[in-house]
Order: sequence, then structure tokens, then C-alpha cells
Amino acid sequence: MLGYIPMGIGYAALALKAGFNPFQTVSFSILVYAGAGEIIGATMVANGATAIAIILTNFVVNLRYMVMNTAVFNKMEENSLLGNMLTAHLVTDETFALFSFEKESSMWFYVGLALSSWLSWILGAVIGVFVLDFLPVIVTNSFNISLYALFIAILVPAVKNNKRLGLLVVITAILNVILQFVVGNWSLILSTLIGALIGMYIVDDSFMEASND
Amino acid sequence: MININLVILGCALVTFIPRLIPAIFVDRLNFGPKVEKFLNLIPYTALAALICPGVLTVDSQLWYIGLIGAVVAAGLSWKKVPLGAIVILTVVILVTVYSLIPMF
Repeated sequence: MLGYIPMGIGYAALALKAGFNPFQTVSFSILVYAGAGEIIGATMVANGATAIAIILTNFVVNLRYMVMNTAVFNKMEENSLLGNMLTAHLVTDETFALFSFEKESSMWFYVGLALSSWLSWILGAVIGVFVLDFLPVIVTNSFNISLYALFIAILVPAVKNNKRLGLLVVITAILNVILQFVVGNWSLILSTLIGALIGMYIVDDSFMEASND
Repeated sequence: MININLVILGCALVTFIPRLIPAIFVDRLNFGPKVEKFLNLIPYTALAALICPGVLTVDSQLWYIGLIGAVVAAGLSWKKVPLGAIVILTVVILVTVYSLIPMF
């Protein structure tokens, strides 16, 4: 939720510029709730893409949530079909990453984290719609870094003491860059899965206990 | 003129379905240790793929803006600065960098 308010403001700046009205800008955040997908969607609207192309791109880019939700529900204790279905919409890169690297694995902890993140993302869009006229471009541009800063801040301590995990992170990053030229938007999900497969061989099992510290 | 409402509803649907599928099936599957390890590696590889090269597009014109932000965040994280402070400090430093650019 930390990165979400500034990032949400950054997204709102982009969506309004692309021609979304304030109501559509906020609805997109409530209903799709996928930072990268929304930003790509707004950019494509601005560039005159067709609705079908935008929807297909969102499908491909957001397919990773299937993998992430599998990991989330696999880790979550006391999960039920109803509870899973009600929280399914709330998985994002951020809630998934924070929950994965957290010792706590109860359902209520996840629901609290997920709900507050969702509300922060929506609040960010609402604030963006209201205050945007007063914010200079350099500030909204700088807000775009907040989610990446959070991802890096989660990842660095997790790989700091495990050289092989660090190596896996570098391999996956390079793989993602190369795959972008070959498969375009599919690269995100493909490099995540192939990277984890490579990790099965180059990382030893001890990281599973260590990552919980 | 593109129908933005259609874009919103379409994107909402194709994003929700992949999110829902594991919610229904995870309970019925029993993962072995190999699959568990695979799933435990996903957070690392997903974050790696999300950060690189996406961070370089934070500013669509100046790729090094994102690189500076990434280096700052990594450095602060290495020094064990708390998460929230890292996010705020990185944003503040980028605003500073932006305001210094016209001087060069």
C-alpha cells in the first residue's frame, strides 16, 4: 500500500491525458486493479489502439496473476473456496510480493494487506483526479518510481545473503529483456516461469527457510 | 473514437478470470515438494521480470531516470532502511534530480 498512493496519482495523470474522464479513471482502478495493465491500457488509448488490442494485451500482461494467486492461496492458511473467490480480485504484484516474503501466512493477515492495498490504489486515483492540475509534471513523473522502489526494496534483502538466488534474479531479468524482442508482451509471464524452472536446478532448498527471516 | 467503457469492462473481465482460476482449484490440489519449490521461487523471478527492464521506462524520454531511482532504492535497501522510507526517499531524490537537469 506504501507505493500505491503516489503510483495511483501517476496512473491518474496518464489516464486523464489519454482521454479518460474522472469517473472512468477511478473505475479502471476499481475494476481492473492492475498497475501495469492500467498504465499500458491508458497509453494504448492515447496512441489510438483498438479496444480489442488493448483487451488482449491486458490479458497477456495480467496472466501472471494466475501464477501469483496460485502461490498466494498455496501459502495461505485456513483458506476456503468462498474466501478465495472473494479475495481473488485483490492479488497484485505488491500484495503477492509482501505476502510471499512475510512470515505470517494467515488468511486474515492477507485480507487486511490486500484490502488496504486496493483502497490505497483507488484513493491514489481519486487524489490524482482532484489534485493533478496543481502538481508539476516532474512530481507525477517521480511518482512512477514508487512501485519499482518497493519491488527493489523487497528483493534486495531477500537475495542479499544467497548468491545463487541473486544469480537467478539476474538471469531472469536478462531473459525477460531478450524475450521481449521475441514474444513481446508474453515475456513477463514466460520469463517468470522459465526463471523459476532454472531456479529448481541452481538454487538449493535452503532458501525456503531463510527467506522467512 | 474508441469506446473507453468497453475497454474498462473488457480489461476487467480478462484480468479477473486468471485471478479466479487458482482461487477455485488450489484447495483441491496437493503440491509435491518440487512444485512447492517452484512456487517459492516465483516471487523472486516475478519481481526480477517486473523490475527489468520496466524500471527504465519510468520516464518515457529519459531512461536513466529509472536507473537512478533503481540504484538509490537498491542502495537504501542494502543499508537496511525501512520499506516506507525507501519509497519516499527514492521519490524525493528523483524530484531533486529532475530539478537539477536544466542546469546541465
